Amino acid sequence: MLNTILPILIFAALALAAVGAGRRVRLWRQGRPSPVPLLKGLAALPRRYLVDLHHVVARDKVMSNTHVATAGGFVAAAVLMILVHGLGLANPVLGALLLAASACMFVGSLFVARRRRDPPARLSRGPWMRLPKSLMAFSLGVFLITLPTVGILPPDAGSWILALVLAAVVVWGLAEMVVGMTWGGPMKHAFAGALHLAFHRRPERFSSKAGGEGRSTGLKALDLENEATPLGVETPSDFTWNQLLGFDACVQCGRCEAVCPAFAAGQPLNPKKLIQDMVVGLAGGSDAGYAGSPYPGKPVGEHHGNPHGPIVARQGTALVDAETLWSCTTCRACVEECPMMIEHVDAIVDMRRHLTLEHGNTPGKGAEVLDNLIATDNPGGFDPGSRLHWAADLNLPRMADLGQVDVLLWLGDGAFDMRNQRTLRALVKVLRAAEVDFAVLGDEERDSGDVARRLGDEATFQSLARRNIATLSRYRFQRIVTCDPHSFHVLGNEYSELGGHYAVQHHSTFIAELYDAGRLAFSPWKGGSVTYHDPCYLGRYNGEYEAPRRVLEALGIQVAEMERSGFRSRCCGGGGGAPIIDIPGERRIPDMRMNDVKETGAELVAVGCPQCTAMLEGVVDASAEVRDIAELVADALVARPAAAAPRRSADKTTAEEVI
Amino acid sequence: MSENRRRDPRREWIARNRLHPEHASVLAALGEIGGGAAASEWLGPNGVIRRNPRAIGFIGPNGVKRIDRSGAQQGGQAAGGTRQAAQDSRRQVTIEAPAFLVAVVPDLSGGRLSGHDKDLLGLARRLADADPERPGAVLAVVFGEHKEDSFGEAGIDRLLHLADDAYAGFAPEARLAALAAVERELAPRHWLLPDSPLGGADLGRRLALRLGERPATGVWQLEPDVGSPLGWRCTARGAAESLDIQRPLPRVALALAECAEPVDETRHAAVPLSLAEAIPSALSRIEDLGQVAVDPAGVALAEAEFIVSGGNGVKDWDGFHYAARVLGATEGASRVAVDDGFMARHRQVGATGTWVTARVYLAVGISGAIQHLQGIQSCDKVVAINLDPGCDMIKRADLAVIGDSAAILAALVAKVEQQRGGQRDAA
Amino acid sequence: MRPEQQGVEVAVLVSVGRHPITGRARRADQDARGLELALGLGHQLPGSRVSLLHAGVLDEASEASLRGYLGMGLETLTLLEQTEGADAIPALAEHLAAAPPQLVITGARAERGEGSGLLPYALAERLGWPLVSGLAAVETVENGVATLLQALPRGQRRRLKVRLPAILTVDAAAPAPRQSAFGPARRAELEVTPVAAEPDRELAQWRLAPARKRPKRLKIVKAASARDRFKAAAAKAEGGSGQVLEGVSAEQGAEAIYKLLKEEGVLPR
Repeated sequence: MLNTILPILIFAALALAAVGAGRRVRLWRQGRPSPVPLLKGLAALPRRYLVDLHHVVARDKVMSNTHVATAGGFVAAAVLMILVHGLGLANPVLGALLLAASACMFVGSLFVARRRRDPPARLSRGPWMRLPKSLMAFSLGVFLITLPTVGILPPDAGSWILALVLAAVVVWGLAEMVVGMTWGGPMKHAFAGALHLAFHRRPERFSSKAGGEGRSTGLKALDLENEATPLGVETPSDFTWNQLLGFDACVQCGRCEAVCPAFAAGQPLNPKKLIQDMVVGLAGGSDAGYAGSPYPGKPVGEHHGNPHGPIVARQGTALVDAETLWSCTTCRACVEECPMMIEHVDAIVDMRRHLTLEHGNTPGKGAEVLDNLIATDNPGGFDPGSRLHWAADLNLPRMADLGQVDVLLWLGDGAFDMRNQRTLRALVKVLRAAEVDFAVLGDEERDSGDVARRLGDEATFQSLARRNIATLSRYRFQRIVTCDPHSFHVLGNEYSELGGHYAVQHHSTFIAELYDAGRLAFSPWKGGSVTYHDPCYLGRYNGEYEAPRRVLEALGIQVAEMERSGFRSRCCGGGGGAPIIDIPGERRIPDMRMNDVKETGAELVAVGCPQCTAMLEGVVDASAEVRDIAELVADALVARPAAAAPRRSADKTTAEEVI
Repeated sequence: MSENRRRDPRREWIARNRLHPEHASVLAALGEIGGGAAASEWLGPNGVIRRNPRAIGFIGPNGVKRIDRSGAQQGGQAAGGTRQAAQDSRRQVTIEAPAFLVAVVPDLSGGRLSGHDKDLLGLARRLADADPERPGAVLAVVFGEHKEDSFGEAGIDRLLHLADDAYAGFAPEARLAALAAVERELAPRHWLLPDSPLGGADLGRRLALRLGERPATGVWQLEPDVGSPLGWRCTARGAAESLDIQRPLPRVALALAECAEPVDETRHAAVPLSLAEAIPSALSRIEDLGQVAVDPAGVALAEAEFIVSGGNGVKDWDGFHYAARVLGATEGASRVAVDDGFMARHRQVGATGTWVTARVYLAVGISGAIQHLQGIQSCDKVVAINLDPGCDMIKRADLAVIGDSAAILAALVAKVEQQRGGQRDAA
Repeated sequence: MRPEQQGVEVAVLVSVGRHPITGRARRADQDARGLELALGLGHQLPGSRVSLLHAGVLDEASEASLRGYLGMGLETLTLLEQTEGADAIPALAEHLAAAPPQLVITGARAERGEGSGLLPYALAERLGWPLVSGLAAVETVENGVATLLQALPRGQRRRLKVRLPAILTVDAAAPAPRQSAFGPARRAELEVTPVAAEPDRELAQWRLAPARKRPKRLKIVKAASARDRFKAAAAKAEGGSGQVLEGVSAEQGAEAIYKLLKEEGVLPR
């Protein structure tokens, strides 16, 4: 009897799945067009899955192995089941393989079940709680119906009741694993996830066979020339179709939630819930079915949306509240952790763009900062002619006088901040000690546009960027060095789309290079224990984790690492305009970060970012002092031993002319 | 206080007689009248005469200490004497037949001549006294009730006081009608008004347009200029304080504060004047319903001129809020106070909050983080109350008091309340 | 919302502003506050119509700053196009007289040109309408009478009633303008009407220069004797900056602070 039912069941399930797939694709295609190379993307899929995705998943070894067993077992079992039971190729070898695959999947599902017994808070419950049972139903059902094929059991073993029960189990398994894949349910992630990897909006973020780790962190520019381009995202259908596909791929594993600084601070943001809200908007309905942690302070079930309705209501509630979007510090911790390679920050900035450019509703001091950027080219509203006042006694060489140098020192808006001026002074001292041929733009420099862009004001960003690019195009230099990772990121990664291509270095990278070249010498470190805080825009955005540690090592400092450091570094709370918007939470992000510092017992935390310095120094009763790497280096400078003097005497003379 | 000191021969006799049982108390009483000089001798608790040699004597007219053993003169009288001398230093000026009139309409905010008014009167005097041969007279047109008694000292020759109720409050139409009547009857050569919001700025512009003149506004400098119709050239601020406009002085000028030095060497007659003609009553389309009480705490930080700001060191927030209310100050806060939830976010002062431009900034329990100090850069006077004498705010402050902020604020509140109560009683 | 309250016709006069530090063209602060007030009024009285009016030159900088007002949520702006240096008052008066709104709201003074703040008064005089300056809020508009709150120093308010049509001017006490959004600003239309205009000949004869810093007034001590002068000078030095009172009682500290507050004149009477 099973022999006749099984093919019908299998093909019915496949047919239903195909119908569901069509419907799902139609949902995604509500988004705006975004051209992707379809075949090339599909061809790249296996590598993206096996290398890039696995690289992220493998950070949790147990879960990684569980997934390999379960998913691998399932894919093999499903293919073999179609061959063996669907097409009737009752080959004992195939049967044995099918038994092995389903057994492997069963073992995997046991681990899934174990994790679901007492799941951590970051995992969603609801339908996900039945997943281990569904996995077991499928693997066990397939295993049992295959036993006769291999000949372990006689074909007519058991009564018809047993056959019916078995058939029911197989139906359950098929319904969850095959039909559910396209009709919604936990297994949707497999279908949407695979296509998301193939048609990802940032193909360049994946590694390639040729090498290179693949990094793509710059925001994508809005086409402001074309008035038909929507200014940001108002409704779910304003996302590009592959962004919608990406949201649909979410497995609700909550890794993003676990690392999100805003969530930890009790601000109303949870990246996982945000992505799920986008899925709700994509399909239409309310968020009542969501079974994970809510946005802190916002009960589930009060928000609803549809593909063509607003995401953020001008009045009342819609899909998401504005403060959720404004809580983000754009630290990219969620993106770094996401095993499905979902781009949360892009989505948040897209929605912020609409709020700023169409609603004119940048909260907090955002509007004031943007007005200042428009009127004075710096967020503080300072006289642009006073950008170099702090350096009146330093006699800094100007680009306008020289025209051509090795290193263009980009000061950033920290030039207006008294605290950051100390860092800049230190850096100038270091550059002079190493006899670097450098110059500054001086009053010609403008804000890089970082804050404007993260606040969603793409128009102001592009205006600043284009004028900066025009200024830079007048001069010749080998590279730009800056002590502001935000400027570093924007100049290095985001100006290229507008026509500015520069080699940009963070000052820590440059100092490390100078040291390695023997152009700097340090006195041994006499202070206490030191830890290092990775700035998001240096680390996760630009992958520079080594150079700052190299510099600290050169200073003779043994870094006492915080638990969350490197790519898992916790944000200081200063990015993405978050301190300007200042959405209230239960705690402050910098306080949490200084607690991390305290746990290491360090007396000093080295940083490499003016924002981080300001945020961490703003912590009351902190246990550690906050110093920029440049300051530490400047303090430790000693005259170079004669033997180590560089052989670049030519450079030296130019440097002297300059100074 | 009356200038005629009454003599009490009996008391003077007791004061001379050291053996008189009331000698000490009489000396003390005389000392009090004389302006706080302490008794130089008194009977100690053990019956021994105590002497304070520093309390003997008085300050003579030339500022030198004098000791008069005869007892004929007690120190107390000196104070009255110097006041007399200060008043005498002003020269009395009376202009009988002025060649022309310079009309000034002071704001008289709160019923008294404001500093701005006095500066303006100084400017009017320059116009009036430019030619000693043909001096002009300064005519002040004063609306409503006032408490000012030194119009003459401020440089006013003629005073036109229009006390009708119709001019009280915001009554630009009635006041304009009155000024038009003055123009018809007295035809002053110059009209000067303070360019102060809601005062002369409003009335002056109305007047100029009624007279068909194009007024100079924001005037801050005046120079003689033969080529100009009125013989003067003025420099005026324009374009939101970003431009200096030099032009001939028109008949109507609205001047800024500190446009001239106030009168301080002469005393003028301030002869009351009245108009012969009745002022036609204007049809008023604007009705003043009176002042509405507003909480100073609601004033925007950036515009406040007096801010009391609280920080980490404030423990008694109720006392802090009460003090701000009594002092009539706008409340500010340091970042920490805001983070800890004691103050609203929009009250935060500093580089990351609001940049303030207050005239007086009273920092209570704020140690002075660099961001905070940047935010108060443009404050005129900073007063700090703090426990830690080494903190950065103390270094910035013009006046710093080291001590418990709650106690000092309470004492300050008590002082202000007592002073205010006293004034009310006197009034 | 009371039923007798009906919508009002509000015209907001706007000018091209100038940023105080960089001098770049922008929406003028006071005019933007006026528009904010009008938009708030439109929200408060349904059926109100807010229109924007500007008289002046049309070029790239002025268009950008005028669009700054449109970005606050309006679809059109009527621009009476004039040549540079022309007098805006006759054109505006004519336009307003042709289709009189009930309320005209504008900033107290312009950020460019003479910036004398005469324009609203000139319009009021020409049109014969009442004018109220220093407006903080419009409370109600009923039966052709508006109840207003006028801003007094120190955040105090005065309630006024004025018969419409009227001209209202606002300064820094009016509500802060909302953010200007790029999208609506870009889409909105400028309805340009060229008007004949007389050049402002008087202004052309004046000497204009960037504002000089005004000298700070020094405290001049007039004293009869050398001793008084010495005393005054010595007192000044002693009371100068950085006085720290340590180890004094709370009362003494309060006394010193009180003296300073009194000197500065910030204590309410």
